[in-house]
Amino acid sequence: MVYDLIIIGGGPAGMSAGIYASRKKLKTLLITDSLGGQSFIASDIQNFIGFKSISGIELTKKIEEHLRAQKEIEIKDQTRVSKIKKDNNFIIETENNESFEAKTVLLALGSHYRKLNIPGEKEFEGKGVFYCSTCDAPLMKEKSVIIIGGGNTGFASARDLLSYASKVYILEYSESPKADPIEQERIISNKLEIITMAKVQEIFGETFVKGLKYQNRDTNEIKELKAEGIFISIGYEPNSEFLKDFVKLNNAKQVIVNCKTQETSLKGVWAAGDITDTLYHQNNTAIGDAIKAVLNIYDYLKKS
Amino acid sequence: MIKLYSTPTCPYCEMAKNYFKEKNVEFEVYDISADEKAQKEMVEVSKQITVPVIDINGKIIIGFNRAEIDKILNL
Repeated sequence: MVYDLIIIGGGPAGMSAGIYASRKKLKTLLITDSLGGQSFIASDIQNFIGFKSISGIELTKKIEEHLRAQKEIEIKDQTRVSKIKKDNNFIIETENNESFEAKTVLLALGSHYRKLNIPGEKEFEGKGVFYCSTCDAPLMKEKSVIIIGGGNTGFASARDLLSYASKVYILEYSESPKADPIEQERIISNKLEIITMAKVQEIFGETFVKGLKYQNRDTNEIKELKAEGIFISIGYEPNSEFLKDFVKLNNAKQVIVNCKTQETSLKGVWAAGDITDTLYHQNNTAIGDAIKAVLNIYDYLKKS
Repeated sequence: MIKLYSTPTCPYCEMAKNYFKEKNVEFEVYDISADEKAQKEMVEVSKQITVPVIDINGKIIIGFNRAEIDKILNL
């Protein structure tokens, strides 16, 4: 059996593509390790159009319901793709040694937390070094915590943590936090302290984390900050590792796409969402780009 | 006996709960943000403090790892 389209990835981009592809009556298979993507773990999303405030779990449930109501789509979740090959069609192999064939492919694999790669980070992962504030904030009751990164994710983590922790620091590398002003204004708390021009050097502890060392980039002075929890919120890296010999990636390992159509460097392959080199990575834009891709895939299949 | 150590806000814990329900597998949930004894127990068995931790008859799974759960429970 040859599918018209195989969508790889089940975040907002992949699920939206599935809905559109099915409505265009394309024989579609969606392969993903889990539905929801990064936004699944967001505690409170306030910029998803149509919802003043919604949790990641709730949003995922709504999009998933919409997706599963479609007739033409097959969903294979809890499945990771291990390889894609170009033959006459595209052959997609999974880690469970299954193989699927399709005329076109949409890469919507998203991204994962970026790591700092400093001493102590790996050693203390799960022992005071965390990446998911939604999951682990309730464990920080009356504790002192540090968030590394002053972008939107860092401020969202601060919101999660201020309900529990006794003190929250945000460490920002540059002169001022990069988070949207509205995200920064949402937090009014004397428990929050923002330290700018901070380059984190090392995380230390014994069995569990006790704190970190950072360099003040103005004075070069090394300072120590004690905390029982360190949340790393320095952005995301695309899940493109296995694609590097398949389509063209940029230096940030993002899939390069034509922004008019979402086509990649390889004919028959499109990409959308966090995995691409688009300038902005948002739920709403990922969805728009995925839909654009499917409409272009539809036109391509009609012509061929 | 399956123990699920969780927090009230943890999405992966929610995923695990739904999965066990879907498979008609009985399990008990321990909210380690409210239950100090359970928190200590979880740290002892998993040597770390992120959730979810799933204890299936003494076999410890950190995170919601469906393949691992399926293997242990023969699902």
